[in-house]
Amino acid sequence: MLEFLRKEDARDIHIATLETLERTGIHTDSDRILNIFKEGGADIDSKKKTVRIPEYLISEALRKTPKKIILCGRDPKHDFLLEGSRVYFGLGGTPVPFIRDVVSGENRRPAKSDVGECSRIGDALPNMYYLMTIAGAFDVPWEAEYLHELEAILSNSEKPVVFASPGADGARRMLDMAATVVGGMKELRRRPIVCLYGEPASPLTLPKANENMIEFAEARIPITLGPMPMVGSTGPGTLVGTEVTANSENLAAITMVQLVNPGAPIIYAGWVCSMDPRSGICTYGAPEFALGTGALNAAMAHYYDLPCFSFGGAAGSNAPDAQAGAEIMMNGLIAALTGTNLVHDCGYLSNGMVGSIEMAVIANEVVGIIYRILKGIRIDDDMLATEVLSEVGPGGHFLSHKHTFKYLLSEIYIPQLFDISSPESWVKAGRKEIHEKAREQAMKILKEHEPTQLPKDVQKRLSEIVKQGEKELVKKTQQ
Amino acid sequence: MPFEAVFEELVNAIMSFDAEKVYESTKKALDKEINPVEIVQKGITKGLRIVGDKFSKGEFFLMHLVAAGEAVKKVMDELINPELEKRAAKLESIGKVVIGTVEGDIHDIGKNIVASMLVTAGFEVYDIGKDIPSAEFVKKAREVDADIIGASALLSTTMPAQREIVELLRKEGLKDKIKVMVGGAPATEEWAKEIGADGYAENAIEAVNVAKKLLKIEP
Repeated sequence: MLEFLRKEDARDIHIATLETLERTGIHTDSDRILNIFKEGGADIDSKKKTVRIPEYLISEALRKTPKKIILCGRDPKHDFLLEGSRVYFGLGGTPVPFIRDVVSGENRRPAKSDVGECSRIGDALPNMYYLMTIAGAFDVPWEAEYLHELEAILSNSEKPVVFASPGADGARRMLDMAATVVGGMKELRRRPIVCLYGEPASPLTLPKANENMIEFAEARIPITLGPMPMVGSTGPGTLVGTEVTANSENLAAITMVQLVNPGAPIIYAGWVCSMDPRSGICTYGAPEFALGTGALNAAMAHYYDLPCFSFGGAAGSNAPDAQAGAEIMMNGLIAALTGTNLVHDCGYLSNGMVGSIEMAVIANEVVGIIYRILKGIRIDDDMLATEVLSEVGPGGHFLSHKHTFKYLLSEIYIPQLFDISSPESWVKAGRKEIHEKAREQAMKILKEHEPTQLPKDVQKRLSEIVKQGEKELVKKTQQ
Repeated sequence: MPFEAVFEELVNAIMSFDAEKVYESTKKALDKEINPVEIVQKGITKGLRIVGDKFSKGEFFLMHLVAAGEAVKKVMDELINPELEKRAAKLESIGKVVIGTVEGDIHDIGKNIVASMLVTAGFEVYDIGKDIPSAEFVKKAREVDADIIGASALLSTTMPAQREIVELLRKEGLKDKIKVMVGGAPATEEWAKEIGADGYAENAIEAVNVAKKLLKIEP
């Protein structure tokens, strides 16, 4: 595992975090969150709505937080365990305001059907272990956007789902939908097919939307965090200063969750995001983004011995081009080599503003390469092959040797998308560039891949929940 | 020290991004009994214009823009405006803008930067804060007789509030009188057109240009 921080560096960040939470504290506009901290023994200022958290509460919370968390698929073959340095990449992130149309190549507003299509792509791509999304549903009433998106994802993939449903109400509906798919809350607790993505607001704020974490904590269904302070705007102008900000938000949320329900599963995230100082845009393709969300995040998670969540396979570029490829390999590789357990945003372009199916297909290949690198170099006497060398001798070849058959195909990664042919073959095949090949592969998947359908009655109940939810939510805003 | 040197010092203070220096230089100018209107025109506005130009050229960054804006806001609030009041004088406003982040949204850094750029460009700005219901935008705009409403949204689920503000104005027969500008990460030119808003800008400097254009003010 690649380590960028020494243990004492991580300790310094931890101590600075404790100082920040004790001295500055966090702000919340939620009375429910305020009360949890108050009853838990934190120092509350009810007027300013700030919470100062003493060290012992944080230490206790860290002790109670599970060191391993399992995420489950509808089919158990998709289950995986988050702990140590196991690495799992996933498709997309939170719903995206634009999608690069896979046919025309133009950016447009995505619809619910796009969320479904992207989920089908994610279901088919073997290196995408879980699903978020690379599209948003913009053709449904906005009040019920989250319900429709979650319905589209759950209906089009069997893989575990990580999803951000804001507020207590959003969380309850998400739990209801997931429980419906697996056959009840008890079964969902046993086999959590969903994980809530809870996002604190930087700097140092747990907004009312974070009440969703309370609901998931009570239900004991996994939560993952995602504070995103940016260097020099919503965080201080240094990487480690911004890590102290993110880590403070993160430890505050973990403490809240453990006060609600000791032992509730919550995944660490302390992200430092990079900023273009000209536009203020959060730059996903930047080297500091990889260092901040990858290296720093993983270092702190390992310091606490908690599973962690971060970015990889996310591009800043506006097109599926060479820049995008360089960016996703960089942030994906850093996340993987530093031992990030749950890696997200494969298929993002334009710093999270545009989802791209071609990019998801390209990321799948890049992640395949990353997994090969993670596998590393195996060595034992048989693999050192002195016997084989002696048998074949100088001037021979190893092509048909038993030893070659035994090992070669597990030693060499064979790309499914990247072009490794000769220049002549490449010209003969039509001089196709990577994004064209990715588009072809995507079209093939969309044409051929049918994920296992939900049982008819389950699908029906799911859509009833969405319909009923939409009715209630739309009515609420019209009052 | 001749007046010109005082103004130059103020411009340099703004360019140094040191709020204390801006404060001292402004105070020095007022101590010399220079007309505050003149201090604003020949010192503060000039300094800010240079900062804005350099930002547009990519020589300065957001931190420079914001630091200069905040330093100026402090001297306007604490020194210039009280002095203007004392003299019963007023700065000429080039237009009134009500600005805020829409209901359900707490992201306000972008909105704050736009507000500060509008102030420094000479607009009279009423910043009504974040998580503000659509009706409040309209109410405030009516109350202050605003020319423009600026509505910011960062989330795709809060963007519809921008449409709601346009519709409320239409309902109250104010649509032609009050222009609406929208901004925030998921907003686009196309979105502005779709909901019947009058303007969209990608960044704070552009927002000032669009606002001026909407009110037919020479740049």
